[in-house]
Amino acid sequence: MNRVLVVDDEPAILRLLGAVLARGGYEGVSAPTAAAAMAALRHGGLAAAILDLGLPDRDGLELIPMLRGANVPVIVLSAREDVGEKVAALDLGASDYITKPFDGEELLARLRVALRQAGVAAPREVLAYGALRIDTARHEASLDGRALTLPPKEFAVLQALVEAGGRILTHAALLEKVWGKAHVGDVEYLRVAIRALRLKIEADPAHPRLIRNEPGIGYRLMES
Amino acid sequence: MWRVLTSYAVPLAGVALVTWLTSAMLAQWGLASAALLFLLPVLLGAARGGLGQGLVTALAGAAAYNFFLLPPYFSFRVHGPDHAVSVLVLVLVALVTSRLATRLRAREEEALARASASEELAQISALLAKGTPVDAFSRARDFVAGHYGPLHLGGEEDGFSSLDQAAAAWAMHNGDATGHGTAVMAAAEWSFLPLAPKGRGTHALMALARPEDGHTRPLGEIEHLQQVALLLGQGRDRIALEEERHARETFAESDRLRRTFLASLAHDFRTPLTVMTGQLEALAARSDEAREALAAARRLERTMSDLIAAARIEEGSLRPQCESLDLVDAADAACAAAVMPGGIELGHAIPADLPFVRADAVMLHHVLINLIDNALGYATSRVMLGAQAQGGEVTLWVEDDGPGVPPAERTRIFERFARIEGGDRAQGSGLGLAIVKGFAEAMGMQVSIEESPLGGARFTLWMKGEA
Repeated sequence: MNRVLVVDDEPAILRLLGAVLARGGYEGVSAPTAAAAMAALRHGGLAAAILDLGLPDRDGLELIPMLRGANVPVIVLSAREDVGEKVAALDLGASDYITKPFDGEELLARLRVALRQAGVAAPREVLAYGALRIDTARHEASLDGRALTLPPKEFAVLQALVEAGGRILTHAALLEKVWGKAHVGDVEYLRVAIRALRLKIEADPAHPRLIRNEPGIGYRLMES
Repeated sequence: MWRVLTSYAVPLAGVALVTWLTSAMLAQWGLASAALLFLLPVLLGAARGGLGQGLVTALAGAAAYNFFLLPPYFSFRVHGPDHAVSVLVLVLVALVTSRLATRLRAREEEALARASASEELAQISALLAKGTPVDAFSRARDFVAGHYGPLHLGGEEDGFSSLDQAAAAWAMHNGDATGHGTAVMAAAEWSFLPLAPKGRGTHALMALARPEDGHTRPLGEIEHLQQVALLLGQGRDRIALEEERHARETFAESDRLRRTFLASLAHDFRTPLTVMTGQLEALAARSDEAREALAAARRLERTMSDLIAAARIEEGSLRPQCESLDLVDAADAACAAAVMPGGIELGHAIPADLPFVRADAVMLHHVLINLIDNALGYATSRVMLGAQAQGGEVTLWVEDDGPGVPPAERTRIFERFARIEGGDRAQGSGLGLAIVKGFAEAMGMQVSIEESPLGGARFTLWMKGEA
């Protein structure tokens, strides 16, 4: 059974998450403090972590690089309104975030995506997500076996999304990856590329199902 | 008068002394050395008293030289051309020397005046740099008043005559020194000096009274006072900057406290709500009561978000982070987040080639969710989002097929806690539409209501499209 670390200082939330995880077939490991989380991390055997950012002994953001360093995917559990904090957590390497109050089924779905991503081996030449396939060496992309003709920037955006495999990529992360550090603030570049991509890969570009927007945060790829 | 006479007496006594000395020693020294000695009192006179004294001493010296030392003695007659030349040379040398000495003296005086003026400016600068801006300014001002007499600074009430008022208005408008001692309206009793360099809009002024002894301030002094006024102006600017900085700091601190308070309020609400909804979710599959409780808990969450948003609008702490947005994304995310009552269809028809708009993604999301929630509360069977672009403007609307909003209610409905009769499912906070309006306006958008072709209400957001 996969062990999932749950870091939150509220005992009631720890119990609730324990129940939700048990329902999804996971074993929850509770840690009410950052210190307890680090002890659990040293102990090893963790498949993923669900992390509240407001901890009594340390800022939860500081734990993200340590967990990522140990190859444990992190889902941030946030009660705060601030979009900036969610973006910071994602840019530090968190796989996803979920806002309190959350839907149990949604949390389990996000957890499955995060675990699947963590299981994927290091860079390969041919990437696939859902019906999308990308051959990075040949610079070819296809959807349901149908070849897509994509200009370099659109190809790069799609490649980044496929590599992330359902994880959210923040605007800044996508912009940096495709356009370079100097353009992390130029969201309109990204909007134009996403719109153009949708025209080529979505059945109905006005109702996108593959590339989903998270308001103020970024984009993620959906499997459907 | 007496002082003038005594000042002439000293060089003339010098002439007498040289005359006596040279008469006694003529045989030993010779005529040429004696003539040179006569230059000494001329130099003395010119250096002490300027051209007038130099000239008088030179003439007296020449006369004495001629009368006592040149034959025929004790007569002003000149015997022989060489003697005539020596008297003439003495007069000329005396003249030139006294002119040179006078000029040197004038330069020295000028340099002294400049040094004392710059020393004074340095003193004022030093005063202005010490301590708090308010104390420093009042010390510098007292220093200037102590040196130059009564002074007023821009905006202070005083009983100026109409000529003074006209001079002040001129100085204020043109940024030139005006009034007493200057070239403009010199008859005024006060001198008006701008506190900022020329060309910076309307000028605040320093007003200085005519000196008590009645003399006219010389132009040089007015020029110096202009520098003093600029320094005082800098002192005043420093006070204004300091006040502004203080106000900004106070505002930033209270803003931070408000934000912290709202954030912790949200946190404190959300944690128990998460536990409630989480546990109810597990029970909802088996129990209708739990399902109802779950729906109520979710509504509570929305209400809480609305309350916090309303508080932010109320206190004016909204800072939209506008960026380029695709309304297809915005509509899609809002529809995905809607809590759907049974039997109602929600859809959107946003053209995929609509221009991008500039908006705060999170605020626009909140606006759309509230509009959709409101429409779902009143709709009979359908809620639709639509958008179109027209002449650089983009409109985005949310419409339903419910009872609609009567024209008389269309303004009131954006007030807090306003509600229209007729929506059975409408159980919102009563803040939803007030937040729509507050957020939309903060992002520079307008919001309006009209009748929808579907039969109900259509709420439209008007925004600028990106080129």
